[in-house]
Order: sequence, then C-alpha cells, then structure tokens
Amino acid sequence: MLRFAIKRLLMLIPVFLVVSLIIFMIVHLVPGDPIDNLLRVNSTAEQKAALTAQYGLDKPLIVQYGIWLSHLFQGDLGQAIVLRRPVSELIAQNLPHSLILGSLALLFSTVVGIATGALAAIYQGSWIDRTVMSVILLGSTVPGFWLGLLLIMLFAVQLTWFPVSGARSWSALVLPVVTIGLGGVALVSRVTRVAMMEIARKDFVLMLHAKGLPSRRIQLRHILRHALLPVVTILSLRIGWILGGAVTIEYVFARPGLGSLLINSLNQRDYPVVQGCLLMLAVAVMLGTLIGDMVQAAMDPRIRESVE
Amino acid sequence: MHHSTTGVRTVIPALTGLCMLAAASLPAVAQEATFALTSSDVGAPSYNPIKGTQLNSATSLIFDRLVIQDADQSFHGQLATEWESSEDGMSWTFKLRPDVRFHDGEPFNAETIKWWVAQYAGTENAFMTAAIETVEIVDDLTVRFLMNAPDPNLLSNMSSIFMSVPSPKAYESLGDNFGVTEAVGSGPYKLDSFTIGQETILARNEDYTAASDLSENQGPAQFETLTIREIAEDSTAFLELKTGGVDLLFTVPTDFLPRMQEESGTTVITLPGTDLFYIPINTSVAPFTDIRVREAVAFAINQQEILDNLFGGIGAVGKNFLISSLLESEVDPELNVSYDPERSKALLDDAGWIVGDDGIRSKDGVPLQVALWTQNGTEYKRVTEVVQAQLKAIGMQADMTVLDAASINDQYRKGNEHQLAVRSYDWANADILDWFFSGERLGYPNVSMWNDPKAEALNHTAMKESKTWEERVDNFRAYHEYVLSQYVFAPIYEPVQNFAYNNARLSVPDTVHGTRLQSQTILDMAPL
Amino acid sequence: MISQSLATLKSILRTPRGGLSAAVLLLMIGCALFAPLIAPYAYDIQDLPNSNLAPSSAHWLGTDEFGRDLLSRIVYGARTSLSVALTAICLSVAAGMTLGAMAGYFGGVFDRIVTAVVDLTWSFPEILIALILIAIIGPGLYSTTIAISLAYLAQFTRLTRAQILALKSETYVEVTHNLGAGHFHIIFRHLLPNALTPVIVAGMLATGDAIILEATLGFFGLGAQPPTASWGAMMSSGTAQIFLAPWIIIFPGIAIALSVIAINLFGDSLIEALDIRSRLRAH
Repeated sequence: MLRFAIKRLLMLIPVFLVVSLIIFMIVHLVPGDPIDNLLRVNSTAEQKAALTAQYGLDKPLIVQYGIWLSHLFQGDLGQAIVLRRPVSELIAQNLPHSLILGSLALLFSTVVGIATGALAAIYQGSWIDRTVMSVILLGSTVPGFWLGLLLIMLFAVQLTWFPVSGARSWSALVLPVVTIGLGGVALVSRVTRVAMMEIARKDFVLMLHAKGLPSRRIQLRHILRHALLPVVTILSLRIGWILGGAVTIEYVFARPGLGSLLINSLNQRDYPVVQGCLLMLAVAVMLGTLIGDMVQAAMDPRIRESVE
Repeated sequence: MHHSTTGVRTVIPALTGLCMLAAASLPAVAQEATFALTSSDVGAPSYNPIKGTQLNSATSLIFDRLVIQDADQSFHGQLATEWESSEDGMSWTFKLRPDVRFHDGEPFNAETIKWWVAQYAGTENAFMTAAIETVEIVDDLTVRFLMNAPDPNLLSNMSSIFMSVPSPKAYESLGDNFGVTEAVGSGPYKLDSFTIGQETILARNEDYTAASDLSENQGPAQFETLTIREIAEDSTAFLELKTGGVDLLFTVPTDFLPRMQEESGTTVITLPGTDLFYIPINTSVAPFTDIRVREAVAFAINQQEILDNLFGGIGAVGKNFLISSLLESEVDPELNVSYDPERSKALLDDAGWIVGDDGIRSKDGVPLQVALWTQNGTEYKRVTEVVQAQLKAIGMQADMTVLDAASINDQYRKGNEHQLAVRSYDWANADILDWFFSGERLGYPNVSMWNDPKAEALNHTAMKESKTWEERVDNFRAYHEYVLSQYVFAPIYEPVQNFAYNNARLSVPDTVHGTRLQSQTILDMAPL
Repeated sequence: MISQSLATLKSILRTPRGGLSAAVLLLMIGCALFAPLIAPYAYDIQDLPNSNLAPSSAHWLGTDEFGRDLLSRIVYGARTSLSVALTAICLSVAAGMTLGAMAGYFGGVFDRIVTAVVDLTWSFPEILIALILIAIIGPGLYSTTIAISLAYLAQFTRLTRAQILALKSETYVEVTHNLGAGHFHIIFRHLLPNALTPVIVAGMLATGDAIILEATLGFFGLGAQPPTASWGAMMSSGTAQIFLAPWIIIFPGIAIALSVIAINLFGDSLIEALDIRSRLRAH
C-alpha cells in the first residue's frame, strides 16, 4: 500500500511541473510587458528594478521559471497588485472557505447519490426507478448557477429560510452546498444504480438468495457494499467538478473562497493572484485524484498490483 | 411505575432552567452594526486621503478634518475651532482643537498641520494645498497659512474628505502601505481590518472628543464595532437590508428605491446629490479628433429616457459637467447638452460618415466602431448598455467592455486605446473641471487627453487668479462654457443621494448634517 | 453507410424518447439557423419604457430590463450557444481524433507524451481550463470557443486512442500494411472511419456540456459581450432583476435545460440503437 502511494505521488511530480509551467507562462503570454502585469501602474523605477532582481525577469524564461518555482516552495507566491497583500495571505484566507464548501458538497453528492441510486436499483423498472432517474437527469442538465439562482429565489427571497449571500453563518452554507451537490448526484446515482444491477446478477448473490437471506438485506448489506468501488472510482475521476462547481457557486452566492478570488482577480487583471489561485486549484485537483486513487486501492487489491 | 410524579418534578425545574438559559442567550442591546457600501462606493483601493484618488464613505469615520461644510454652505469646525483670513486673502489663521490624540496616541497640534500640508506636494491632490506657500506655527494650537495667491476655495477644500488628517508617525512609518493594511487617524473609529472590495471593520475610539457642532453627541460613538461591507450587486444590497443582514445602506440602489420606501422596516433619507454620470471622450484618438463626432455623441444620449426608466425618474438629467446645485453650472443655455439625435446624425453626415446597410456608418472604408468602457456595478453596466443602443441609433457601433472598479483607473494609466467610457464622479465644487480637463493631468484623470491652450488659460484664471468667491464663480463659469463648447464629454444623469436604514435596529437623527452621510451624522446614530 | 444511418435514425425516431428529443433538437437548430425569421422582434432594439414586462400577448416571454423581447433574445441566444458549442466541439473532435489516432497507432514516446498531457487535463474541471485560457486571451466569443474546445480535447483524444489501440491489433491492419499501405493511409482510410462512430456520439453528448460551459462563462461576463444575446449573459444581468422580473432568469435557464436534455436523450437513443455503449468506455 505504501509503495503504491509513493509511486502515485512520484507520478504526480511531472504533472505538477507541466501545470505550474503553463500557469507560470500566463504572465508572459498575456499581451504587454510582463513587469506591467506584475506591478502597479505607477510603480517607480526602483520598484521595477527590485522586482526584476527578485524574480530574475531579465533572464531567460527557463531560469525565470526556476526562480519562480523556488519562491513557490518557500511559500512566496508574489504580491497582489490591487489588494497589495502577499498572494499567499489571500489564499490562506480564502482556501478554508472553499475546502468546507467542497467537502460538504462532495458529502452531499455521495450520500444523496448513493441513496437515490440504490433506491432506483432496488425498485428497478418500477415507477420509482423511472421517477428518480428522471429527476436526477434534470439536476445534471441545468447549469449550476441557474440552479443556484432558482434556489435563492425560492428559499432565500420568497421563504427567507436562508441568507441570500455571504458566509456569515452556517445556514449560508446550505444553498451553495445543495447547488453544487445536486450537480454531482446524477453521476453517483447512475453509477450506483448500474453497479448494483450488475452485481445483482453475479453468482455469489444468487447463492445468498438461495441461502434464504431476505432480499432487502442482500441488497443493502452485500450488493451496495460492492457497488461502492465503482462509485469511488467515478468520484475520484471527477473530483475536479466539485472544484469547478465551487468556483461558479461561490461567485453566485458572493461567498469568499478561491473561486470568487479567482474570478475577481481575472476581472482586475491581477495576474499574481490569478496564478496563485490556479496553482492552488490545480494542486487541489491533483491531491483529490490521488486520495481517490488511494481509497480505490484500499478497497480493491487488484488496483494496487496494476500500477503502470 | 409512578412516572407522573417524578415526571412533574423533573419537568418543572427543567423548563425553568431552559427558560433561564434562553434568556441568558438573548443578545444584549446590540453594540454592533453593519453598514453597506454599494454601487460606485465599492472598490476604493485604500484609506489614504493624501495620496488616494478614490475614497469610500467610511473614510470620515477613521479620520477628522479641519472643517466640515453643511448643506447651507456654512462651515463648522472639527479639528479647527476658529479661523479667519486676512483682508487680502493672503493669510489664513486656524486655531486648533486641544487634547486631540490620534489612534496611536500621537498628539494633534500645529506641528501636525505643518507636516500634513507638506505631504500633498507631488500627489494628485496637490492642487488642494497649491495656494499655501508656507505654514507658520504661531503656537502649539495655532497655525497660519501664508498663501502665494488668494484662495477663496480654501475652506471648501479643507472640508473635503481628501483633506483628512492622518497620524504623521503612522503615515511615515507605513509608507505606501498606509491606508491599505493599516490607517491611523483621529476619528471616532479605529481601523481594525480592511479587505479591498470586501469589508472594513472599525472599532470605537473610546477617547474621541473632536466632534463638530453638527453632531449632538460630542463624545465617543454609540456603536462598539462597525462592520462596513462592500456589496456591488444592487439586488443583493437591497435584500441584505430587507432581511436584516445589514443595518444601513450608504446608497440605495435607485432600482429599489420605491420598494425600500414602501417597506415599513426601513427608512429612506434623501439628500441633494453630488454625483454626475457622464461619458469622457478621448479627443486624441480617431474618430474623436473631429469635434463634430464628439458633439454627435453628446446629443445622441437620451438622458430623459435613462432617468425615467433606469432610475425611476429619481434625480435629474445631466446637462453639463457640474451638478446643478453649483452656481457655475448655470451656463449659457445654448451650450447645455440635451437629446437631439437629428442634430447628431446631421453632424456625422457633415463629417463624412455615411450610413451603411447594417445601420452603421463608415468613412473611407473604416466603420464607425468605437470602444465603450465601463466599470463593474449594476448601474454602470445598465447605463452603458442603453448608451450602446442609443449610439447605434445614430450609426455608431460601440463595443462594450466591463472593467473592474478597483483597477479601471490603472487601465487608463496603462495607456490603452480607450475611446468612450461611462463613468461618474462625486464632487461638489467647480474645480472638478480642473481635475478632469487640465492639461497637466493627461492620462488619468484627464482621460479626455485634452490639452487646449485656451482652456489652459481659462483654467489658470479660474484656479489661481480669483480673489473672491464671486470672481471665482464667474471665472469657472467661463472655463466651464469653453469646455462645453469643445464637447470633450457627454453628460448623462445627476443622482440624488438616498440612504436607508433598518428603523428597528438604528435610531438616526431627523436632520442629516453635512453634504453627505458622514461621521457627523453617524456619531448621533444609536442602537435601539 | 447512408442507408445504415437512415435505418438507425428511423429506429430512434420510433421511440418516444428519441422522437421527442429529436423534435426539440430540430426546434433549437431551426432557431439558430433561422433566427431573423422566427424571432418576432430584433434582439437588440431597446424599448426602455416597456422594460421588465411580464409575459403577455405582445411579448410571449416578457421583456428584459431594456425592454427587449425575451423570446427573440432566447431565439437568437440559441444561435450563440449552438454556434459556440458546435464549433468548439467540432474543433475538439478533429484535433482529438488526430492526436488520439497518432498516439494510439505510433505508440512510443509520442504516445507517452500525449497520454501524460491528456491525463493531466482529464481530471481538471473544464471550467478551470477555460478560465486559464481566458486569463491569457481575454474574454469574448472567440476566446470562449477556443477555451471550450481545448477543455474537451482530452476526452476525444483518449477515446480515439482507445479505439485505435483496440482496432490496431486486427488482422486486416497488418495485412494492409504488408501490402504496402503507408501509415497515414491506414490511419485515415481504415482505422478512423471505424473509430468514428463512438467519437461522434461522444461529441454529441459533449455538446450539451459545452452549452452549459458557454452559459457559465457568459454568466461570469467572459463570453459574448452586449448586445449579443447569450443565454448565460441574459441570466447574469437578470440577477439584478430577481425581484422585478424573475422570468429573465427562468426562461433562458429552461432553454438551456431543454436543449441539454434533448441532446442527452437523443444521444442515449443513438447509443442504444447503435449498441456501442461498451465502446464508449475509454480506459
């Protein structure tokens, strides 16, 4: 297990290098002099010179990348142009909000998805199955921000059960979590349902039936347990959508977080912050996938053997 | 089994305990309040009054000024208690309020003022102290300004929020970071934390004594903590006030004004306006090098329709560059701008721009296509979309770009090829003409890139050679009229000021003093 | 090939699911192609005194905050959404098929590099990739198209590669090669046509996602600029009218939902009719 973990971690290193290189290049690919994209407009010549020296802006690109990376590992992500604060500080302030939102949404998707998928599988073919799957389909075909807006209109404006925006209270988490979560329920639900139906056809299940165990028990205790592996597989592959959802929904609900920080800094053309956010999100995706892989491997020994 | 007796014996104490617990957890009379900044008040990059060019409404809570101007044009002392100018206007003497300390404990005295005036040199706000030649310290609490020219506008300048007095010690030690990470003044509130575009947290200054006579409360403020949130989206701001998320909106989004007035839980207070929405035109870039094209833009804007439909008829149409409460806005009626699309079309025809099949004009194969910038914020975006459609109606295609409020001025400074934009300013003095059109401020704030010798001469006369207030009005009127005749901008709309508060949580004095909602009124606000 | 396609199509249309979704799709495509003929009003003519009107006989879906007819703007919005999504997916499929085919066929270092890059982007949410690209090239219609096509590139590359790998080991490939056919001839004349079907269907399903992505970018203000009608941007400016005119948010959302549901249902019918579900798994 440990060897598997180390191998996967090592495989992530080249990925990280390529991703960070692309993010590093943003400042150079954008029109204009890179130094104007890193500093405030009325900076003095001394300030420009200082920045040039610190980040080696007069050296060849590959050297600059190296210097940027070394600063990165020391925790220095540069200075935000508009907010005039270290980027690392801004990220530290916003990251927890996104993590909470993302984790709760993931939990929601998983729990509700497995529950609905199991329900549909158990009552396979009946009206319950069809209704559940149709509702699920609807949830996955609407844009997340529209769903968020509809929920705001109903629950925050009309019923005033929850606040409209912000992150001032725990109840402010409900609508955003549900919005992001509903987007992922479809996938989990579908996979659970299909997996359970496939497993139900397997021999060992027939044997359980033959032994006289009650059908409900078989479904929940045995089939569901085995169905969890494909679910975890699909979740770990698509962990990215949670972050994608978070980016959009934070903006809709005016919540602090990496997502709104990214969108706002994109609008402000505050490239150091843009780079910092993108990097953080990319790392989150990579780590999330890694964790997903580990959970899969823990659940299924065959995966551990087959690391390419 | 005898459940009943034991049941009763345990239930009553339990219930009592619960009630006491509930009572204990009821909040004490609220010592905190949350105010919200909206619309153009959002996105101020710092609380630095000396170097800053964009300050929000919370600034007056952190800093004090020498004098405050009331709506009736009278001046009331805050950090200054008495003042007088000599006959020839060449010297001003100010007596300062004793026993005032900055939030960092530093004393406020004549030395402070001498240091403070010198700080403005070389900044964008230097024009406010430009007439002061030297500052003489008469005694610990008396200063004398020796002027290089009479400045009838001095007191008006001194009452501007940009003439707030920061603590010299903090200002020097924080350098560029002053107003960003920390800000130290002498005002009724100390700056606890500031996150640009998001929120400012203020803590009460328990030793505050520098209230002007415009406030009833001459001591510390009534709220222990004030949280100032910045909300760019109008509907969110409205909802937050309605649902109790915030207690006060510094500006009520005009869309929601009628509904806010209907709500019994909120009270709306209206003050005369000090803003103007307008379109600066870049005179240095084609097609706007041609005055006819500029004039065409000015007369293409249907100000009345914008006023009636976007702002619910609240406020007034923009006619020229100054707000209508200023005398200098009363210019020759011929020069005022109004809606006259036929005039615009005739001008463009005259300038050689022929209408094409798609309704867009072109000349020598070049289509009449221009860039139209605006800043983030519901009102700006909406006005800009309407302007876009009104320009299309005269055959000009305007491509819209929305820029972030905190960085749009930086975008101007970067020297991009900008042409038109929808902006607004908040200023109650005619010298705003100098600010936006002086040849010495090309780039920003003179985004019209206008440098006309005749204008410069008129500017000089108005700014530097007026000896009395009346003379100043006449000189500025002349400057204003010339600016109008050159069509370097197009006026759109003059809002009035409306602010709204939750009348179950706040008590607000009946009369609002000053020209804006600032510390003089906020000092008198109390929790209910 | 043609008669086979027609037969498949007929079998799909016979099912209620297939028939209904096909009808909705036709409606959408019709709106996109014939917008000027279908829409009752022009999409950019403002009528300020009549803004925020509720649905009525004059304006079936009401008017927006500038008095523009919402129905017309939704019809024209179909044009924006469909053209961006389709163009992006077509570009993505073309590039993805080429890359995937070459990687699967030639193998070796090229394959390893392509697979690494694909795996990299595979786990990233499309919105993030799109945002990175827009950070570089700026907002606008062209940028969103390119961003979306790059965001889905990984999917098609992966799928094609898997198909090619499976087909490569077929005997007829070896025989053709021995007969002297060049590599590219084999790829383009023999392998790709067989790999085509699952990729095309996957592309179709991806179009639905692409429409949502385009709407999301439009919602952030990074897509088409005013006055171009774009479902996402319409909803974005509609949030300011959340009280006065909720239909500005509701109707464009319904339009997107209907379109995407129709695409998904039709795609599902197609998969079943062609019985290629197993070939769509790309591991």
